[in-house]
Amino acid sequence: MPSDQNLSADVVIVGSGVAGSSIANELARAGISVIVLEAGPRVDRQHFVENFRNLENKPSYQGPFPSTPWAPHPPNQRSPNKYLHTSGPDAEAYQQAYLRVMGGTTWHWAGCAWRYLPSDFELKTRYGQGRDWALKYDDLEPFYYQAEVMMGVCGPDPGVEDLGSPRKQPYPMEALPLSYAGQEFRKLIAEKTPWRIVHEPQARNTRPYDGRPTCEGHNNCMPICPIGAMYNGSYSVYHAEAAGATFIPNAVVYKIERDAANKKVVAVHYYDPDKGSHRVSGKYFVIAAHCIETAKLMLLSADEQSPNGVANSSGHVGRNMMDHTGVQVTFISGDKALWPGRGPLETNVIDNFRDGDWRNERGAYLVHMVDDNQVDFATQLAIAKGFVGRELEEQIRYLASHTVRLFSHNEALPDPENRLTLSTTEKDALGIPHPQVYYKLPQYTVRSCDHTRSVFRQLIHLMHGTDEEWTPGYFPQDHPAGSTIMGVDPKDSVVDGHCRTHDHENLFIASSSVFSTVGTGNITLTVAAIALRVADTLKKELLHG
Amino acid sequence: MRLMRRDVLLTTGMSALAVLGGGPAVFAQGATPSPSVPAVDPDLMRFMDISHCLTDRTALNAAIGAALYAGIVQATPQRRGQIQALYDLKARERLITASELAKAAEKADKTLKDAVHDIMIAWYRGVAGGKVVVYRSALMFDITKDAIYPKTYAAGGPFYWTTKPPEVARPTGLPALSPSPFVVEPT
Amino acid sequence: MADSKYLVGSILLGSALLSGLFTEQAYAEDAQQAALMARGAYLATAGDCVACHTRPGGKPFAGGLEIATPKGVVVSTNITPDPQNGIGTYTQEDFEKALRRGLRKDGAYLYPVMPYVSYAGLTDQDVKALYTWFMHGVQPVADKPPETQMAFPGNIRMSMMAWNMLAESEKPETGDSATYDKLRRGRYLATALEHCGTCHTPRNFMLVEQQDQYLAGSQLNGWFAPNITSSSTGGIGDWSEDDLVAYLKTGHAKGRSQAAGPMGEAVEHSTSHLTEADLHALAAFIKQVPAHDDAVEHQARDSFGQAAVEPDLRSGVVNRVDNQPDYSGAELYDANCAACHGVNGAGTADQYVPSLFANSVVGAGRSDNLIMTILEGVNRSTPSGHASMPAFGAHSDVQRLSDRDVARLVNYLTDRFGSGDHHVTAEQVGAARPRPSTPATPSDATKPVSAHAP
Repeated sequence: MPSDQNLSADVVIVGSGVAGSSIANELARAGISVIVLEAGPRVDRQHFVENFRNLENKPSYQGPFPSTPWAPHPPNQRSPNKYLHTSGPDAEAYQQAYLRVMGGTTWHWAGCAWRYLPSDFELKTRYGQGRDWALKYDDLEPFYYQAEVMMGVCGPDPGVEDLGSPRKQPYPMEALPLSYAGQEFRKLIAEKTPWRIVHEPQARNTRPYDGRPTCEGHNNCMPICPIGAMYNGSYSVYHAEAAGATFIPNAVVYKIERDAANKKVVAVHYYDPDKGSHRVSGKYFVIAAHCIETAKLMLLSADEQSPNGVANSSGHVGRNMMDHTGVQVTFISGDKALWPGRGPLETNVIDNFRDGDWRNERGAYLVHMVDDNQVDFATQLAIAKGFVGRELEEQIRYLASHTVRLFSHNEALPDPENRLTLSTTEKDALGIPHPQVYYKLPQYTVRSCDHTRSVFRQLIHLMHGTDEEWTPGYFPQDHPAGSTIMGVDPKDSVVDGHCRTHDHENLFIASSSVFSTVGTGNITLTVAAIALRVADTLKKELLHG
Repeated sequence: MRLMRRDVLLTTGMSALAVLGGGPAVFAQGATPSPSVPAVDPDLMRFMDISHCLTDRTALNAAIGAALYAGIVQATPQRRGQIQALYDLKARERLITASELAKAAEKADKTLKDAVHDIMIAWYRGVAGGKVVVYRSALMFDITKDAIYPKTYAAGGPFYWTTKPPEVARPTGLPALSPSPFVVEPT
Repeated sequence: MADSKYLVGSILLGSALLSGLFTEQAYAEDAQQAALMARGAYLATAGDCVACHTRPGGKPFAGGLEIATPKGVVVSTNITPDPQNGIGTYTQEDFEKALRRGLRKDGAYLYPVMPYVSYAGLTDQDVKALYTWFMHGVQPVADKPPETQMAFPGNIRMSMMAWNMLAESEKPETGDSATYDKLRRGRYLATALEHCGTCHTPRNFMLVEQQDQYLAGSQLNGWFAPNITSSSTGGIGDWSEDDLVAYLKTGHAKGRSQAAGPMGEAVEHSTSHLTEADLHALAAFIKQVPAHDDAVEHQARDSFGQAAVEPDLRSGVVNRVDNQPDYSGAELYDANCAACHGVNGAGTADQYVPSLFANSVVGAGRSDNLIMTILEGVNRSTPSGHASMPAFGAHSDVQRLSDRDVARLVNYLTDRFGSGDHHVTAEQVGAARPRPSTPATPSDATKPVSAHAP
């Protein structure tokens, strides 16, 4: 594409993940012209399936996705990593993983499709902690349902298992049946504890849906579902393209251009892999480039008009970085064989700690017993223990059938000191600075993790567990949020309740970066819901405005 | 030099037997599948012999063995001599079981423990020299196939996972080698 | 689309089995009338009228389906009782003429895509039942499908008169078809209702079914309706009556074949709703159709192949996201098929995912149905369940394979699990791909890039 070609559309979207592609699909279906700019290349499922099988370190969810030089993403979650540089007392807790490819990071998610609780949107009002969102649960409810239909979400009948987020419609598909391991765990929790196990709502087919097959339990939701039974953003890309949206891959947006008054965005500029520059103009702009990259782009666009970056009169772009920092323990159950890893990865959840009066002092969390195939883990462990031959084979069978892994999503709080900035030393192949994040876990989250550890110890005891291995420190759950935080006051927030930037009337942000709190459920369904709400706003303004 | 996997995978896997010792690049050259082991390479013969011993198995796939051996010695050239040493030790002391050989090996020379580990990792995980040689055909999946599938290769159909898998008795066998550190790394 | 099919299925099934439904309606007041309605509904199901007379996503029997024929596209008509757009003004005599003689109410000839040469075999009593049901059991729909534009040999419908003289129609059966013995009932179902020959009997250059080669196999829109005569080499002589019943009832006879494409639809809409007795009658009739050997098939199509056992020797190379390797057929199988069909091609134990060996689609000498199944997938709902394989064609959300990849995959499959490498080329796959359908073409209103001058 020649560098001097002027591209233009009603709406220009940066990022083709679940947020950008679903907005593009909605708008294109309404007859609105859309261009989506994706930094990474077009990709194919079969390629990732084979990459996974050729990967030595199978638990590395980033492993099958080695990035391009022009759109680098974190190679792994280890510290230091070569792209997302972290510092601060809890640097290792912010080693987020995400993908820069067509369709986005949902190529490797577990499909957990939680709605937030009504209280998650009003943490300040109810518990005096964090912030309130500039919208309420009820504002989002119709869009939650729209997102569930778009993705194909299965979940329990609310009459039987109420997950705390009021629904006007049942889930599009019936809940996924628990594995034997999940059933046994559920029994244990019901009989021996005051807690409960619920069926996790999942963007996973429990019947053929939208041309994609029923889940067959390949246990590989992360890093790659081999059969397409789980939703990922590439489907919305395909649907949007069929409706007429244009997607441009390998288009690395590096600048957001505004008008003379600095009130409206007039164009975005992108580099192709050879650093040819292109300008794309439009009436409306949506940045939907993942929490990290969205803030990076806003900061990168700093100029004389906006010396601190675009949409950053508040100074809050890049601040308030949050995640579901987790606690993880692996142990060997002394009870009967569970054989985790038969079926999808994450299906059962203890949801008792998602909300309660105690949220005035410690963060909420949810607990997964991850249903992960432990055969490879068991083999490595048994070899390390010194077993060979027949004894090794017995050990592998025993360890693979008795290994239990628990992990939690613990709620963070928006702290302006937890901040993303541009690296002054590290740059990518196009000369664009890498992102860097300072991170110190809020005490609110530390107390939450302490509580989780006590619960995990009780569970280990109940399962007569031995050989417990606590993953050191705190580990990131790849649910970054908060970098362009939502609020009613333009002085301390970046976007309003409709995800419109306070500073620029035609610039929207559709990403977890707008989250004012991070709740406990996985963030993707809420990202999709706010994105569909942005699409709704844009449709109203473009078609009737 | 990079191996083109299309030349290797599945169809011509047997060809790995034909050439040995030169690292992965050799696979691409062997184009004719061969169903039988050419019993010409004494290094490979010794590797297979101690592999049978260290797995307590009489039947191991020769094509996989050839590829594993090539990967091991390419990554760590001194393994060739260590495998020879293990072979000699086994013959000299007339060792029969995996435990006997592993114990005797560590006692004779601490560095042989690493070679035994490599051989275990190769056969059971399908990994040699840090690279995947076989995935679904690794022995760890053979010994668990009554209960569970390798990830991405589940063949039970929807909801197979609700059924009860087999019970597994607590093993009584003892480790043959001294323990080594094992850390669960973040992903 | 799946939803609407399901809806249609429910309506048909509901009306066939639950005649009580109609007692609430003003018309069907007495039991005799209700029985006639139920009979009509069942016959309409057996005749699979809905297959052609409903477009994807459209209302049942409102027409609008585009049917590709070697001579051009025929658009099916609205046969709901709507007086303006459907057949609401048809008398029973008008209805009979259209059904059995291919004559429209206005005297024009119907295109022979409408299988009136088959329906000609219906009894008077069954014509009456069908008429009654269409007039009173079908919701009128006020939609007018577009007129067919086609260059049939002589593009005017009058030339159909000559065609009709060439084409041999079934002779109307007599008496009460419900009382026929098994073989006569089977013949009646196969010829006058299910019109198996419409697809499975080869046609001559004038598109007339060649009755001397009844059910000996024929091309069908990229698919191939195979030889289902009793030939043990070219046909399905090795199938038992129970195999055939299982196939017609569920769309799947284990270790033999499964229905996709047009046959999948026939099973979904029609044969899966037949009574057990009718299924056995139909199967018994098909089994005794005279054997015709096949020019291409010289061994039973389901008799090839065995489980593959090779280890998965790998490179251990992980390629960059934009560096998609040039996969061989074996690798394409591993990457796209093995997850469900198994590393050895055996499918699941219960054959929910079918085995690829002992499978007529893979074992066939003609690659048509294997190519089309890969491109279009399987989506077949019957009372026995929903069979689903994702498409790998141009509209797949799961994986879009190139012509070359499909060709390599087909050749690998036929070599490994079938009768040998078919040497299918990318060009052949390209030719088999369905033409872009309407939803894939964006309207001008949504053309994005040049819509606005900057």
